[in-house]
Amino acid sequence: MPSDHFGPIMLKVNDVSMFFGKVAALSGVSLDVREGEIHSIIGPNGAGKTVLLNCINGLYHPQKGEISFKEQDITKIKTYHRAELGISRTFQKIELFRGMTVLDNIRLGRHIHLKSGILSGFIYLGKTAKEEIKTREFIEEEIIDLLEIESIRNKTVGMLPYGLQKRVELGRALALNPKLLLLDEPLAGLNLEEVEDMARFILDISQEKRWKVTCILVEHDMGVVMDISDRISVLSFGNKITTGTPSEVQNNAQVIEAYLGEEDLYATRR
Amino acid sequence: MQYLPCGIYHEYYQQDHAWWQTRFVIGKMILLGIFIFYILPFWGGLYWVGVATLTIYTIMGALGVQLLIGYCGQVTLGHAAFIAVGAYTATLLTLQLHLPYLLSMFIGGLVAGLWSVLFGLPSAKVKGFYLIMTSLAAQFVTVDFILTQYVSQIGGRGQAFSLPPGSITIGPLVLDSDLKVYFLGAVLTILLTMGLANLLRSKVGRAWIAIRDNDIAAETMGINIITYKLMAFFVAGFIGGIAGAFWVSTLAALSPEHFQWFWSLWLVGVILIGGVGSIYGTIFGSLFMVLIMEGLKFIIIPLTPVYPALTMKFLFLKEATFGLAICLFLIYEPNGLAYRWWQIKNYFNLWPFSY
Ligand SMILES: Nc1ncnc2c1ncn2[C@@H]1O[C@H](COP(=O)(O)OP(=O)(O)OP(=O)(O)O)[C@@H](O)[C@H]1O
Ligand SMILES: [Mg+2]
Repeated sequence: MPSDHFGPIMLKVNDVSMFFGKVAALSGVSLDVREGEIHSIIGPNGAGKTVLLNCINGLYHPQKGEISFKEQDITKIKTYHRAELGISRTFQKIELFRGMTVLDNIRLGRHIHLKSGILSGFIYLGKTAKEEIKTREFIEEEIIDLLEIESIRNKTVGMLPYGLQKRVELGRALALNPKLLLLDEPLAGLNLEEVEDMARFILDISQEKRWKVTCILVEHDMGVVMDISDRISVLSFGNKITTGTPSEVQNNAQVIEAYLGEEDLYATRR
Repeated sequence: MQYLPCGIYHEYYQQDHAWWQTRFVIGKMILLGIFIFYILPFWGGLYWVGVATLTIYTIMGALGVQLLIGYCGQVTLGHAAFIAVGAYTATLLTLQLHLPYLLSMFIGGLVAGLWSVLFGLPSAKVKGFYLIMTSLAAQFVTVDFILTQYVSQIGGRGQAFSLPPGSITIGPLVLDSDLKVYFLGAVLTILLTMGLANLLRSKVGRAWIAIRDNDIAAETMGINIITYKLMAFFVAGFIGGIAGAFWVSTLAALSPEHFQWFWSLWLVGVILIGGVGSIYGTIFGSLFMVLIMEGLKFIIIPLTPVYPALTMKFLFLKEATFGLAICLFLIYEPNGLAYRWWQIKNYFNLWPFSY
């Protein structure tokens, strides 16, 4: 698939370096993500993939380099502000609100779209009640339907099996109605059936007219990555090796070398 | 999460949002209303009205502590300071500027809220232990220093502001009897409790709970952590201020004595015993603590002719009981009374299939 048919550049990471003490987790990484694509980031363990996502959504601040989103420099902007701009994410190690119900977790994803403040929340009747009902409708129709989690909507998240928690976390990230969605290993730890469901959800989110969300996908499951990605960037020891279509990346000599000892690209995890 | 009785389903999302979702619950609430506004005040006698007034004051005080500790995860050991600020502001405005009492009370709440925000500012940078130190600073700076040394001297009154009978009025109504004070307190407590419960199920409250549970995820979802923490400090301080301003109406004279550090600690004990992170817990905890202390008096007073020393030692006994109650609860009922209540309720709601 030629990458030209995607829209303009949505996210630009320019020469980003991030050090922890003397360890360089990222050294001079540059990449751009175009509107509408699924852009995967792969690389061996410890390559810096999670650190890169953390830089993009503002949890980490790189010592060098710039990140811009929709032509706005966001390098210095706080995490919550990036969320308001439309950057949402899931985490490698699930970060849900474990004591809350599934619905409440997803409601939290609607935070930036709600207007109620202290006074109107205190009174509740009228404005806030209407807003809450609209939120509920949105969640039921857009999120719960899509992710097929009708039966667990009122369950406490901490008690759910791992695979469902991953799904709820995706739901919460989606509720924000993001323009750019960062997915950190959404398939890790899932069984075969769950992997298929999750891959389908990611494709839906990317392609369905209603969503059309640009995705950055960090993932070790090469089968799925090669199937659903439009482009792939490869990181190794904090350096970006290459960016290209799945077939370009698979045949890249440097990539094969980086993965040497990890058997065949296709063999992982399945 | 709460279960509805068997056989009840909702057809509209609105119904899920209703306060009282079944007729049975509405019935119970009406009975509770009759108890609070009719049976207790008119049949209970002055003693029980007094006990109820103290309970109400404890609830209002503990609501703010519950909000900060139970819902936003910001430990505070100095809440009495904000109750005091509300009390003093309302008193000064009423006595010196002759503002209407309810207006003074409201302004007292606002001032206490802002004062609380001031001491909440460090929460932007520090957590846990350091924040506890800040709240202690709030207590001692506000009550033992500013109020005792300076505010108490306003108008040359010396240590205490006397509140002559009739100085507190609502329109033409003079709050001069225990019964009237009780009614005012009951209305205020119901308003504040329901308001806070509403707030907790709307955007702001959910953000607080999110910050408590996982601040990284909260920020990722677009919550400005600092702003929302400060909002929590404001609302907690506001409710405390209203509580303080209300308490003024029960007093003949206002002095810093009423807002000592032990009262701050006491309020934390209330929510520990009642249940952290539960509005019901605040109410149960307050009831429990007030009743235990009344029970203690009940036991001690007949004994005083035999052991006169007990009269002197009552304060000591009170504190010891307080400590003992908290220890016992932390060991045997760490989720507080509210959790037990929830279990009992669900047992009946799911009955006869409650296994
Ligand atoms: N907060 C931190 N403090 C210190 N070092 C860190 C921190 N976060 C990451 N690192 C280091 O940065 C490097 C890259 O880590 P990162 O988590 O990005 O790897 P990854 O590519 O996501 O690997 P994996 O596939 O195992 O998730 C590692 O060497 C890690 O030890
Ligand atoms: Mg990682």
